[in-house]
Amino acid sequence: MPRWGMAADLDRCNGCGACVVACHAENNISTVGPEEAARGRAKHWLRVERYWEGDFPDVRVTFRPVLCQHCDNAPCEPVCPTYASHHTEEGLNAQVYNRCIGTRYCANACPYNARFFDFFNPSWDKPLHLQLNPDVSLRMVGVVEKCTFCVQRINGAQVQAKAEGRGVRDGEIQPACAQSCPSRALVFGDLDDPESQASRLSRSPRGSHLLEDTGSRPKVAYLARQA
Amino acid sequence: MDRRSFIKLTAVTGTSAALASCGVPENQLIRFVPDEDIVPGVAVWKPGVCPLCAAGCGLTVRVMDADADVARNGQLGVVRIAAAKKLEGAPNHPVNRGGLCARGQAAIQVTYHPDRITQPLKRAGERGDGRYEAISWDDALADVVSRLDGLEEAGNQRALAFLSRGGASHRAVLIEQFLARFGAPPPAVYELFGDEVLRRANATSFGREQLPTIDLANAMFVLSFGADFLGTWNSPVAQAAAYGVMRQGRPGIRGGFVQVESRMSQTGASADEWVPARPGTEGVLALGLAHVIMAAALRPASAAGRAGALVDGWSDGLRSYTPEQVEKITGVAAARVVRLARQFAEMRPSVAVVAGPPLAHTNGLFTAVAVNALNALVGSIEQPGGVFFTPQVDLAAALKMSGRAAGAPAPPFRLQREGADDPHIGDAQVLLVDGANPVFTAPRVWGVDQALAKVPYIVSFGSFLDEMAVLADLILPDHSFLEAWREAVPESGATVAVASVAPPVMRPLYQTRSTPDVLLEVGRRLRRPLNLPWQTFDQMLAAAFAALPSASPDADAWTDAQAKGAWSGPVPPGLGRAASLPAPPAARPIAFEEPRFDGDAGQFPFHFLPYPSSAFLDGSLAHLPWLQEMPDPLTSAMWSSWVEINPAAAERLGIGQGDVLEIASAHGSIRAAAVLTPGIAPDMVAMPVGQGHRTFTRYASGRGANPVEALAPMTEPATGALAWAATRVRVSRVGPPDGRLVLFAGGMREHVEEHR
Repeated sequence: MPRWGMAADLDRCNGCGACVVACHAENNISTVGPEEAARGRAKHWLRVERYWEGDFPDVRVTFRPVLCQHCDNAPCEPVCPTYASHHTEEGLNAQVYNRCIGTRYCANACPYNARFFDFFNPSWDKPLHLQLNPDVSLRMVGVVEKCTFCVQRINGAQVQAKAEGRGVRDGEIQPACAQSCPSRALVFGDLDDPESQASRLSRSPRGSHLLEDTGSRPKVAYLARQA
Repeated sequence: MDRRSFIKLTAVTGTSAALASCGVPENQLIRFVPDEDIVPGVAVWKPGVCPLCAAGCGLTVRVMDADADVARNGQLGVVRIAAAKKLEGAPNHPVNRGGLCARGQAAIQVTYHPDRITQPLKRAGERGDGRYEAISWDDALADVVSRLDGLEEAGNQRALAFLSRGGASHRAVLIEQFLARFGAPPPAVYELFGDEVLRRANATSFGREQLPTIDLANAMFVLSFGADFLGTWNSPVAQAAAYGVMRQGRPGIRGGFVQVESRMSQTGASADEWVPARPGTEGVLALGLAHVIMAAALRPASAAGRAGALVDGWSDGLRSYTPEQVEKITGVAAARVVRLARQFAEMRPSVAVVAGPPLAHTNGLFTAVAVNALNALVGSIEQPGGVFFTPQVDLAAALKMSGRAAGAPAPPFRLQREGADDPHIGDAQVLLVDGANPVFTAPRVWGVDQALAKVPYIVSFGSFLDEMAVLADLILPDHSFLEAWREAVPESGATVAVASVAPPVMRPLYQTRSTPDVLLEVGRRLRRPLNLPWQTFDQMLAAAFAALPSASPDADAWTDAQAKGAWSGPVPPGLGRAASLPAPPAARPIAFEEPRFDGDAGQFPFHFLPYPSSAFLDGSLAHLPWLQEMPDPLTSAMWSSWVEINPAAAERLGIGQGDVLEIASAHGSIRAAAVLTPGIAPDMVAMPVGQGHRTFTRYASGRGANPVEALAPMTEPATGALAWAATRVRVSRVGPPDGRLVLFAGGMREHVEEHR
């Protein structure tokens, strides 16, 4: 049984935002428009944060792509009264939209601001809807949505591998963000496979996890910028 | 009832309903006739070419079934089509190697944009008011043909102008052939953030009039002068891929990276060391490094060859560029100059890159030539870890097209009134526009819109009603890039020659036509036909690719390229574009000249830097909602315009985060919200270009402000390129935050140090 995780190399990441748009394109995330965005209702399952240090002229910035950390000890899960937010056998923090009743306890409990509430039904000015990915369900008003590690791609690759009578190869599954990343900063894979690239990178001496002291045991490892 | 008979029954019911309601039943039946062989729910992947910038990245497009409202034979209906669903970078494309930038990801929204122009339109109101009526393709083309015939009858073929965005492509060859055979001047090319200065400098220094390919992947030390090579400049995906390797792709080796610029770009934010130099003095810093390297005898002056000999005082070791002198001019401490010089000379292979704001000054050519000389001095030209020039296929030669007849070609139309004899765009009788929008991207003082008002007949091939298209008398909308044959001939991004090509990915959604096909048809229908040797654009592409050697033993080059989405390989003899230009005439050596700025420093105390935005480049992508809602990398702003200002300067002027500012130059003023950021010099304000469209679809119209409107008509004298960083402005606070600035990170404390 795999345990999916990711390594994000901050020495490669340069904040370009390709992952952010790729995620929108893959996961049918609707845009909310300027008025709702100003109310803090924009949905970005993946965002690029930036950390400024110093004053002019000695300024330094570090970018950090932040998505659901798919915690092994996820604060979002036990607070859900309907088990909409739950842990899969493969270690994903999954969200069953049909169970969600919109309490938003999970979004409040998440230390990473990785969960987004749908204040409206999604809408696409026709024919933008033709782009929608049929593999990903739309989220209606009143539920919380979040990064799935592109579970539709994971399932697709597993079905394909099974049909071919083999296991899933390392690197075969790429979430949309990792596939688009020009500098190859994001690497997805099975953390329980010590040989997988994601697993090897996660053990790097440059590696750390975000807000580890909350005890959430996140599965996204960040490899620090050097120098 | 089983499933089969149920479907039969509904089909029959639907048919009879249609028969009852309409006299042309076959048009109502299209929903039952799928467009093509597509299995519901099964994805197929097809090659594509990203159209959004000149990098020419290869795509793989995920195609699945979808129910679309379409117009066929003038009738509306619903049909199951094979629709593009997702764009990915093509894994084996020699430029982007599987990656794709944020803009490329959003390109699919061009095809499905709700405000696309769906059929030919003829102006029905005053120019600019946006009222159009439908017209058939037959009538539209007849209209164009009669106008062109009229020019020919009057012997006035030189009054046909064509405005495009330039760059090498088969499409450009077709346009050039069309114009040459008609007897018109070559196309007028305008690109706000064009790289004419750098191309000219590379021609001068190295005999290569093209953008460089930087071998970052093998470099140990990268010194960039203002080049936003990870964000918006040149071939960003190829450069970011190589950057990733430079940093962490070689076990135990990590390349260093220093960025010189006075406003921190997205690329500068990733640098190990950020060096703000005074605007327009970056070339002095480059020569300062060269001086130190030569003075310490790390490299001899002669190592730079021709690139060095061009620079005034080079053979004497650049005696007037001592670190102390450089500090006085650039503001970079002398000790730092010495240290950077040593790093550059000793951390081999090292490479210097220059682009963007440093070249957008009146002395831009000097700056580029100075950086070229520095590269040549340490031996970084055409060496691993250095600067390469992608071999270029001579497309006209591959197509066996001759160039223009001997004699000086007619000069192209110009947008600004400079150069006494060159025709001005306002003198054209007929203007065809493909892709360019100078009404938005040229400084207001050039008066492009007034000039265009004098042109009797304007035809646009645009897909959207932007500031340029809305002035057109006739709009002949092009297919989207997914609906037509697309190609690109990247100028850089690979060390071998590349030509990207892809067949249509899906059938056209609307009554649009591929612009190259329209040009070919117009050429045939003229009273004096142009005799272009191809019936359609894909015939032209087939002819061009047939001249190339196949990269695969099993297929010819054309078949192979279509399947892979690109051809790449060594350029066959006779088809290379002149590898080396003759050495330029022995003009006087190039020396530092003080950059000139428009506006008195007392009255206009700030340098003004408009820069290509990460989302919209020069504004041509502001109509895509995903890019509008993508948080800007450095500010997290969405759907907004903003002005970046140093916190110390803001404090002096009583400006707080989000306050509304007025930025005024001697030529215009704009308003936008303040963003306080430490990554900018205290005597500079910067603003992203892209917003401020008067008309450009529902998502961009009337949103934000366009900094280009305030620019002065300063140019780099050798190329005539707009010096877009040479305007000075004054800044005043006109009001408190009013909600016009939308930040994604607004509620999150991201700053390590709070600036209040």
